Amino acid sequence: MAALIPLLFVFIFIFAIIKKVKIYPEFTRGAGEALSFTMSLIPCLAAVFMMCELMEASGISALLQKALAPLFKVLGIPSELTKLLLIKPFSGSGSLAYLTEIIKNYGADSYIARCACVCFGSSETVFYISAVYFSKTRQKKLALPIFTVLLSTFISAIIACLLCKII
Amino acid sequence: MNAIFIAVFIISAFILAITSPDKFIPALLSGGESSLKVAVTLFCVYAIWMGLSAIAEKCGLTESFAKAAKPLTKKVFKTDDDKACEYLAMNFSCNLLGIGGAATPFAVKAIDRLEQENNGYAQKLLFIINSTSVQLLPTTVIALRAAAGSASASDIFLPSLICTVISTGLAVFLFIICNNIHKKRSK
Repeated sequence: MAALIPLLFVFIFIFAIIKKVKIYPEFTRGAGEALSFTMSLIPCLAAVFMMCELMEASGISALLQKALAPLFKVLGIPSELTKLLLIKPFSGSGSLAYLTEIIKNYGADSYIARCACVCFGSSETVFYISAVYFSKTRQKKLALPIFTVLLSTFISAIIACLLCKII
Repeated sequence: MNAIFIAVFIISAFILAITSPDKFIPALLSGGESSLKVAVTLFCVYAIWMGLSAIAEKCGLTESFAKAAKPLTKKVFKTDDDKACEYLAMNFSCNLLGIGGAATPFAVKAIDRLEQENNGYAQKLLFIINSTSVQLLPTTVIALRAAAGSASASDIFLPSLICTVISTGLAVFLFIICNNIHKKRSK
């Protein structure tokens, strides 16, 4: 499976040679596009990350965790996962750091670590994606799509914790 | 996003003003700093994939691939734009391959094309599919567990796949239902 990606490069390069495409200038053109694309993302990234830091520093995220832990517990989600589930919609790197911590603390094969891994693997950074995707569009009515995604992610987290008990 | 941003800023600024006002600016600065760090990582990922896809695009590879997938993308996203269909097809194949970083630029390009068509439905649908995670193999998580000495690092594959399918399916289902209700109301 891992060999697939290098082979993809080989395949495309050989195909481009056959088609007589000038590979080097095309590659740098694409990389140049990547640069301007990344630049256009930075303002959104800065805003989202500042928001995350503020939530952490002001204690809002700790409060939310405390408030939501009992609800999560009733639905079968271990309270250790509350923080992970709350961070994930905002920050990929932040939640990845926290997932690493969970794996270290509870052991890679523990029930909690496995639940955490499944929840992490089957969800995405919703707010981050919405900021990136819709940074240049007029489309601003995103409350419903975001809510739909959050609800579905939450339900799949409940199912993840159930499945980890069986499988 | 706007409402959440305002709420978070006002509430946290208010709390910090009372509890520890000197933490306010450092928190913002460290947020800004990590945004640049992430941007550097993102550029590296995007440079690889956008560079490669520029080559693939030039030799007509993506076009013929998109043509094969077009009946499906056209039907699901209700769009007539060929270029948008091409980007959508590339977005999905990157997601399925587990290279999420490569999927993002295609999604943004597709959204730009759909914007010209004024196709908010497709934009939102694309967002929903991408933000509920559609990867088949959770490579990052498996690598993490293997590194931590798991006995069978990939035994989360099946539950992950089931959950991914459920979350994406459910979100798309809910969105289409809400969309239909909305349409009926506005008629």
